Amino acid sequence: MKLAPLGFVVRRVRNNLWELPWTHVLTAATMATTLFVFGAFMLLQENLQNLLKAWGEQIQVNAYLDKSLDAADVQRLLARVRTFPEVEGVRHISQEQAWRDFQAALGAQSGVLEGLPQDVLPASFEIKIRENFRDGPMIEDFVNRLKREKGIALVEYPQEWVDRLSLVVLAVQWVKWIFGGALFLATFFIVESTVKLALLARRDEIEIMQLVGASEAMIQAPFVVEGMIQGIAGATLSILGLWFTFQWLRNEIPTFGLLGPFSQFHFLNARHIALMLAIGWLLGAAGSLFSLRRFIKTW
Amino acid sequence: MIQLFHVFKTYPPNSQALNDISLEIDKGEFVFLTGPSGAGKTTLLKLLFREEEPTNGQILLNGQNINRLNRRGVARLRRQIGLVFQEFKLLPRLTALENVALAAEVVGTSKNGSHTKAYHLLRELGLKEKYTAKPLTLSGGEQQRVAIARAVVNDPMLLLADEPTGNLDAEIADETMRMFLKIRERGTTIIIASHNLELIKRYGTRIISLRHGFVADDLQKVVRHEGMH
Repeated sequence: MKLAPLGFVVRRVRNNLWELPWTHVLTAATMATTLFVFGAFMLLQENLQNLLKAWGEQIQVNAYLDKSLDAADVQRLLARVRTFPEVEGVRHISQEQAWRDFQAALGAQSGVLEGLPQDVLPASFEIKIRENFRDGPMIEDFVNRLKREKGIALVEYPQEWVDRLSLVVLAVQWVKWIFGGALFLATFFIVESTVKLALLARRDEIEIMQLVGASEAMIQAPFVVEGMIQGIAGATLSILGLWFTFQWLRNEIPTFGLLGPFSQFHFLNARHIALMLAIGWLLGAAGSLFSLRRFIKTW
Repeated sequence: MIQLFHVFKTYPPNSQALNDISLEIDKGEFVFLTGPSGAGKTTLLKLLFREEEPTNGQILLNGQNINRLNRRGVARLRRQIGLVFQEFKLLPRLTALENVALAAEVVGTSKNGSHTKAYHLLRELGLKEKYTAKPLTLSGGEQQRVAIARAVVNDPMLLLADEPTGNLDAEIADETMRMFLKIRERGTTIIIASHNLELIKRYGTRIISLRHGFVADDLQKVVRHEGMH
């Protein structure tokens, strides 16, 4: 398709925006409403993902060491454990440290420990797992390999918790694609229908343009540019709407039940805002183009 | 200039609008297509500006088979044809000047060039004071003059008018016809579909009568028009 003259398109778009403001406002408002729902889903999904990531970071494997190891053995074992690909970081808890931690944990009841030898608790490694390996079977595999290491007496990790978290992460991923995809399609069809209705009111214009010999590009370009402007305006409105709703919720609902305080939730980042604007832009352009195809008679 | 060879047009399921039409129209001819409603006048015009395609037969315009044109070709064809309709088909949001200039702009004339051309044409057609008016504030005759100005702004080789005086009173209809004659003087071929016998008698130099999709008559006569040389 040949490009339409820029000056012609700019003039037509400017005149149309000026002369048909309500048509454009209504179309942009419909886009804003549908994109608001889409953005809200994105916001929820992103925060849930962050929350799951934060929970995942709490997963740690505790490897208790043989009491027979001397300091050099412990350092060697520590270096060895750090070479495992699953390991993000290792903290060595000495027997003395373990005793102090235990006392601190007991607080006022720490008196019950009186008389016990201070080396009753074993030294251990607290191992943090890399994000890509925080999955039930992977951790299990890592733990089994760790158990076979000489000098490690016992390995513990919250297996049930890890399994549940893996399941939730998987579910969120699926919901993201299925629900997100369906929502995107619904948004597209709503936008397309709205644009179609707006075009219906201007079908005479299309017909006359065809009769005077305007090329397809000249007929379509102003409508597509108007669609893009409506899309970006709609997306901007939806982002503003989301931001105000987010702020209102933050003030009205300080905690979010089991999910914790609202303050840990974040608004859409720059990448997501750019994505919303791009989706608005694309939907506006594609909606116009698809609707126009049905209006422009096949010669 | 225009050649039709055994042209048929059938609308589904089985409505025969045109039946074996063969015609030749030369450059600069002033032709009336006449006949009762449903005779096929509008269909024939639609075939000429490729709004529709014939079911059978060929239509040549300056030797080019217009049935073979692709979409881009159709747009190019229409830039050489001026169209005037009974219901004017003007854009209500645009002024008289903008309506005329639009047709010039789509063929690539600059904004200033289009507006200048449109202004001169409207002045020529007696609408000097109305060029900033929107179509709905104009009388029927004035709207038709704007439509005529739009049709001729690109100096078309062919002007097709479908019942151009259908919505006008006798005096304005007469005036409109005189405009068409003036346009013909530039060398434009003009084909007017009409069933206004008064006008046809007074202005027709060639009268093609259609009946039930057939050419019933094709008369050529020499006519002297008042005010014409």
